[in-house]
Amino acid sequence: MIAHATSPRVVLAKIGLDGHDRGVKVVARGLRDAGFHVIYAGLWQPIEAVVQTALDEDADWLGISLLSGAHMTLVPPLMEQLRKTGLEHVGVLIGGIIPEKDVPKLLELGVRSVAGPGTTIAEIVERLHKPEEPESVEDLVRRFRQKDRRALARLLTIASRGQSLDVLRHELASGPDKGRVTAFTGSGGVGKSSLIGRSVELLRSRDRSVAVLCCDPESPLTGGALLGDRLRIAKPADDSGVFIRSLATPGGQQAIAKNLDVMVGLLGAFGFDTVILETVGAGQGDTAVREQSDVLVVLLQPESGDELQWEKAGLLEVADIVVVHKADLPGSDRMAAQVHEHLNLPGARPIPVLKASAAKGQGLEELWAKIEEHQS
Amino acid sequence: MATVEVEKQTTVSECPVPERAEPATTVSGVPIAPLYTGEDLARLGIAESVGIGRPGQYPFTRGIHKAMYRDRLWTMRQFAGFGTAHQTNERFRFLLDKGQTGLSTAFDLPTLMGLDSDCPQSRGEVGRLGVAVDTIDDMRQLFADIDLEQISVSMTINAPAAIIMAFYLAAAREAGWDWRKVRGTIQNDILKEFHAQNEIVFPPEPSVRLVIDLIEFCTQQVPQWNTVSISGYHIREAGSTAVQELAFTLADGIHYVEECLKRGLDVDQVGRRLSFFFNAHNDVFEEIGKYRAARSLWADVMRNRFKARDESAWKLRFHAQTAGCSLQDRQPEVNLIRVAYQALAAALGGCQSLHSNSMDETLALPSEHAVTLALRTQQVLAYETGVPNTPDPLGGSYFVETLTQQMRQQAEEYFDRIEQQGGMLAAIDSGFFRREIAEAAFVYQKSVDKREKIIVGVNAFEEDEQKPIDILQIDEGPEEEQIRNLQRLKKSRDNQAVTRGLENVKRAAERKENVFPALLEAATARATVYETMSALAEVLGRHETGGLS
Repeated sequence: MIAHATSPRVVLAKIGLDGHDRGVKVVARGLRDAGFHVIYAGLWQPIEAVVQTALDEDADWLGISLLSGAHMTLVPPLMEQLRKTGLEHVGVLIGGIIPEKDVPKLLELGVRSVAGPGTTIAEIVERLHKPEEPESVEDLVRRFRQKDRRALARLLTIASRGQSLDVLRHELASGPDKGRVTAFTGSGGVGKSSLIGRSVELLRSRDRSVAVLCCDPESPLTGGALLGDRLRIAKPADDSGVFIRSLATPGGQQAIAKNLDVMVGLLGAFGFDTVILETVGAGQGDTAVREQSDVLVVLLQPESGDELQWEKAGLLEVADIVVVHKADLPGSDRMAAQVHEHLNLPGARPIPVLKASAAKGQGLEELWAKIEEHQS
Repeated sequence: MATVEVEKQTTVSECPVPERAEPATTVSGVPIAPLYTGEDLARLGIAESVGIGRPGQYPFTRGIHKAMYRDRLWTMRQFAGFGTAHQTNERFRFLLDKGQTGLSTAFDLPTLMGLDSDCPQSRGEVGRLGVAVDTIDDMRQLFADIDLEQISVSMTINAPAAIIMAFYLAAAREAGWDWRKVRGTIQNDILKEFHAQNEIVFPPEPSVRLVIDLIEFCTQQVPQWNTVSISGYHIREAGSTAVQELAFTLADGIHYVEECLKRGLDVDQVGRRLSFFFNAHNDVFEEIGKYRAARSLWADVMRNRFKARDESAWKLRFHAQTAGCSLQDRQPEVNLIRVAYQALAAALGGCQSLHSNSMDETLALPSEHAVTLALRTQQVLAYETGVPNTPDPLGGSYFVETLTQQMRQQAEEYFDRIEQQGGMLAAIDSGFFRREIAEAAFVYQKSVDKREKIIVGVNAFEEDEQKPIDILQIDEGPEEEQIRNLQRLKKSRDNQAVTRGLENVKRAAERKENVFPALLEAATARATVYETMSALAEVLGRHETGGLS
């Protein structure tokens, strides 16, 4: 079993047009159970987007699934793009229907391994073990100061593993201020990723650079995690003003990743104007999110059982802004009114209760106006 | 001595396998009892008077026709398509010469995704897994010299289904065929794309609206056309269990009917032209139970929930295809045997048409030799085995009746779960179907990896030496040729008429009118698939990438 602290990071993606994702999803789950941190980038990925994901996520491995037969057209430019981005060290695994005769050609292109039909999960896990290549933190910090994105990605991994924290904290103490941090929290399915996706669009349209840290729980047993939230955050493949990183939160009650303060600090120091944290609210008593953010936005949705939950959850008590999301669903007005009444008792700190819908693109401007008002 | 011989073989083999299936489960992991008796039927409340009935009678558990294959065999319909329309047309005529009785069209990935051959995303994919169709002219070429009033045509396409159907009907009109006489099926089932197959362009709600536009238009104007083929096949291929395939497919069907009724369409008229498409997987009895359960569930839904009065609207007619996902690349000839058993299950389950896969499909598109053997498999089944001699030969079997009833109940539980989540579109939005299917696929793969499920030639009875078989080679020619032809057409057509046609498509979509008449006009003006999809997308929006869970 892999030690939790150093779970290898694997980005999985499908390139080309074919939508056959049975294999890649099975592999994602198998790797999770074997202790990997798996980031699934989804279908129809342009090569530039896959490579940028591998860069930002500090991937040790990049698994590409292809069942259309277009591998000899698509893999050469992928390998070229990885080289251009300085990601030669990322091991590339190609899975799918690959004729025997093409395997040597792919290996010659620099592909580390080809997993055809009939490959077991255990065989894939076996192939993905490789020794860590040590890089000196001092060297990374030097490159980080020169705005080397790869160094940023690498330092985030080091921080998430609790390594060299003193060096990093020292670096941050002497560096510029951190960016403004807004946390979005709410139960699974409430639409955090979609709303963040829309927020990224809005902020980019105002020429603000954005870094997003998405927290998903890891298995307390294996340390593995399936991190799929990148999917809902659409962005141009080559937009360097957006940085998205998936983080595994330790199993148990915590809603955010360890050493998040250092990670947030690194992103701010690197120059991102806005840092967005996404977490599943752990609910009662979990105020760690509060400590890490300047503004805490709690998402609720109508008709979801949240009506019963929100009163109990300590989360609402620490919210700066409450958003009733999916506002096009019935019951949203009633819910917004109830929450407003509950939170804004005479003499209490006033808390805005807004309605928004990522699907309809509604309420975004108002939400960010409130967030900025709160920050100033 | 024979026993000793068997034992010896087992010990010699480097990978001993269990001598019997213990604990016994279906391919989908459903436990099987040691014995089924009349007590099982009594416990489940099954009797001939309730539940089973007779072939050709409600609830049609035993088949939709009284005499089934004694009157008419199933249609042998092999899915085909590659390269240019000209190349596929040659393959179609080859298949008709070999005795095939219907055509089934595979489109290439760019077409399925609503792209043209000259779109940058299409690079390397043009004509590779199906035929490239960019305009009505490709459609005319595809069916050149084929009598469309005699031969029924199936087209597997979904997100751009309405556009492709408009190409087909406009092409048929130009070639002089009568819309009232053409017969066939268009898949036009976008919901299962959201669950499993991922050929998605527009968001769920407007996608369904397009499905209903096609159903509405064709129900009225092309009376012999099956307006949708509600498909479980791809759900199963994505790794679902048999019950999930059954339940999700019928839930999709229910959603379409509900939407048709909201549109004010007549349930009898619509119901008569709905068709279904199921997988024929390895577990013979589970598959038969699935088909039988499907028929009785659908009859119940159409008669009792939707109050259809016409019996033909109660009947679930289905196409079956043997399971592509069961085919292996090791010892590929063994696939012939898998396909034969799967085809047997489909025939015993009362399918109306059948595609039997070719043994080489994990390696490449089928060669002529392989596709001929696949067709011969069906012909042996139809003419030599005696299987078609009596309807529903397994009716009354303790085991099959029990499975049928269990699957019915489990499917109904899924209907309730979908309902509880706020219905079909809400359940799609929350990732319910994808999660259920992906988890089932993972459970299955783990059982194969642990050799709890045996796959001959893969995790047992392996051979060190691979004997290669001849596979079809497609040269890179079609892509260049297709792009050249398309670009030539874009210069020679009346571009003002194209612009006008596309404007009308947009206007109809904006007003939420049926877009089909405008699609016909754009098709006739030689608008391309991508141009028309883009016009629609301006109004309908585009769907974001498919999710993980």
